[in-house]
Amino acid sequence: MNIIVCYKPTPDASDIVVRADGSISVERAEWILSPFDLQAVEAGMRLAEAAGGKVMALSVGPRQISNSKLKKDMLSRGPDELYLVVDDALAGADTAVTARVLTQAVRKMGSFDLILFGEGSADLYFQQVGLQVGELLCIPTLNAISKIDLEDGRLVVERSLEDEIEVLETSMPAALSVTTDIALPRLPSLKEILKASKKPVTEWTLTDIDVQGGTVKAHSEIVAVQAPPHVERKKVVLEGKPAEAVQSLVDALQKEGIL
Amino acid sequence: MDFRFTDEQELLVQSLTELLEREAPENAIAELDEKHEFPARPWKALADNGILALGIPEQYGGTPADILTQTLVCEILGKYAFPLGIIYSLGMITIRDILQFGSAEMRAEVLGGFVRGDPPIALGITEPQAGSDSAALKTSATYEGDNVIFNGQKMYCTLSGIARYIMLMTRDQNGENPYESISMWLLPTNTPGLSFHLLDKVGWWTVPTYEVFIDHACVPRKNLIGAENCGWQQLMANFEIERLALAAASLGAAEAAYEDASFYANQRVQFGQPIGSYQAIQHKITDMALKIENMKNLTYKVAWMMDNQMSVRVENALCKLYVAQAAFEVCDDAMQIFGGLGYMMDQRIQRLWRDVRLMRIGGGTDEIMYNIAGPQLLKKARK
Repeated sequence: MNIIVCYKPTPDASDIVVRADGSISVERAEWILSPFDLQAVEAGMRLAEAAGGKVMALSVGPRQISNSKLKKDMLSRGPDELYLVVDDALAGADTAVTARVLTQAVRKMGSFDLILFGEGSADLYFQQVGLQVGELLCIPTLNAISKIDLEDGRLVVERSLEDEIEVLETSMPAALSVTTDIALPRLPSLKEILKASKKPVTEWTLTDIDVQGGTVKAHSEIVAVQAPPHVERKKVVLEGKPAEAVQSLVDALQKEGIL
Repeated sequence: MDFRFTDEQELLVQSLTELLEREAPENAIAELDEKHEFPARPWKALADNGILALGIPEQYGGTPADILTQTLVCEILGKYAFPLGIIYSLGMITIRDILQFGSAEMRAEVLGGFVRGDPPIALGITEPQAGSDSAALKTSATYEGDNVIFNGQKMYCTLSGIARYIMLMTRDQNGENPYESISMWLLPTNTPGLSFHLLDKVGWWTVPTYEVFIDHACVPRKNLIGAENCGWQQLMANFEIERLALAAASLGAAEAAYEDASFYANQRVQFGQPIGSYQAIQHKITDMALKIENMKNLTYKVAWMMDNQMSVRVENALCKLYVAQAAFEVCDDAMQIFGGLGYMMDQRIQRLWRDVRLMRIGGGTDEIMYNIAGPQLLKKARK
C-alpha cells in the first residue's frame, strides 16, 4: 500500500509577534511542521505498518520548507521518503494554487493508494487543500475522518459529523483529510532521528513538475492579518452557592449583551 | 566558535520535551513528590522512547550518543521533571562503570535492563564514617571458596531500596594505601543479609535514599567489577560524567525556576503595576538570566571537552561548583519574587528550591570541588 501524506511547514505560533498597530509578524519565527499534519502522518504510518507498503511525505512551498531540520523532523516520524516542490513563487500561495501544485507532484510521484491530509494548516486553517487535491485527481475524497480501516482492499472510514459518526466505505485510491483525534503522533527517538538523514529526499522545482511559475499566482488576496484588539479583563468574581453563582453569571452575561 | 546544536540534538530536545509534557506533566510530578513515590511510569516512558538507551552500545539495545547530547537530555529532564534528571544522572556513572569494567554477563544484564527501564544501579560508597573521605571505608569483602561475603553499612545509598543492584565499594583493611585497597562489586539487592532503612530528606522526595545494613551478604566471586583493589580508580574514571550530569540537571531546574518567576513577575500586580515593572525585580531577573547563561556555557563546554577526550579535572570541578551554587541562588531568587506564594507547597518553586539545595552536597561537595580545582590552578600558575 503506497500512502502519500501531504504536510505544510508553518511559522511557530509561539514566535509570532504582534506589532503596535495590531499586524502580525512571523519574520523571526522558526518554521515547524503544522501540528495538524502530524496526525495524518501517524495515521499513514499505522496503516502502512498494518498492511505493508510505504509512506511518502510531500510538501510544496518556498525555500523555508527545504530547511534540513524540517526535513529530518518529518522523516524521523516514520515516512520512508520525502518529496518537496520548492519555489519562492509559492510563498503566500492560496489553497487553489497549493492544491494544483500538490496534484502535479502526486502525478509525478507515480502510483499511490491513499493520500492523507491533516484537518487544516496551523497558520490559515482553511481546510480546503485536501478536498481540492482529491477533486483534481478525480478520486473519492472525504474529510473529517477519525478512523481508517483496511478491509478486503477497500477502506472503511469513520467520518465525524456534528451529531453523528458516519461509517463509509470507499475504493482506493482515495484522498482523506483526518481529524486531530485519529491517532496520537509518535515521538521520534534519537535512533529514528539519526535514521532520518539517510532516507531519500527528492526536491523538485515547479518546472520539474510541469507547472509554469507565472501560473501560480494566487486567486485570492490577503489584505491584512490583524490580532484582535487587546481588551482589559473585567475581573468579575462570582461567589455564593452554585445556584446563586449560576444566576449571577446569567445576569452578568445578559448585562454584557452576550445572552 | 559555533554555539549551535545539531539538527539531531534540537530534534531530540523537541521530542523529549513533548514526551515529558505527555508523560510527566507538572501536576503528575507534584503528586508523586507529595506521595514520596518513585516516578516509575515516567521512567518507563523514557525507556520506551529510547531515552535510556542513549550512550549505550547497540549490542545492548542502546543508541550511541555523545556526552553533549546526553547532557542536553539531563538539562531537559531537570527542567521539566527534575526527579527524572536526577535519576538519569545517577545512572550515568554506574552504567559507564559496568560498560567499561564489567564482565560480558554483567553488561548484558545491567545495560540491557537499564535500556528496558530498570532503575539505575545504586552507588554504595558513603558510610557513616566515610563521606568525602572515601579512604575511611570499612565495608569488607571476605572470600569463602567461590563466594565472597560482605559486611558493613552504607549511608545515603540513593535508589538502593528499589534498584536491582548496588555497586558496592569495599575496603581491604590490610592494604597499606587505602586508594589501592578498594574493590567494586555488583551486589543484587535481593541478596539475603541486606536490609534497607529509608531516610527522610528535605528534598528529592521521589528519589528514595537509604541506609543499607550488610550482614553476611554472600555473592559469587565473579560479581567483582573490574580488577580487585582497583575500585577507586575505576570509580574516579567515570565520576566526572556524574558531576556533569548533575550540573546539567541543576541547570534545567534553574531554567524552570526562572521561567516561573519571570511569568509571575509579569502577572502579579502590586501598587497598581506588575511587579516586573519595578527595578528591584528587573535586577533579580537579569541576575538570574546571567547565571543561567554562565551555567550553560560552563556545562556545555565541559561536555564538549569530554567528547573531545580532553582532561576536565579542573573545568568540571569549577562547573559543578558554580552550577550547584548558582542554580540554588536562581531558585532562591525565584522564591523571593513569588513572595509568600513561593513558600506554599502547591508551587513548583518550593520543590525546586528544596531539591536543588542538595546539588551543593551530592556528587562531591562544594568544598571538595574547591579542593580539586584550587591546587591544580596554582600548579598551572607555577609553570
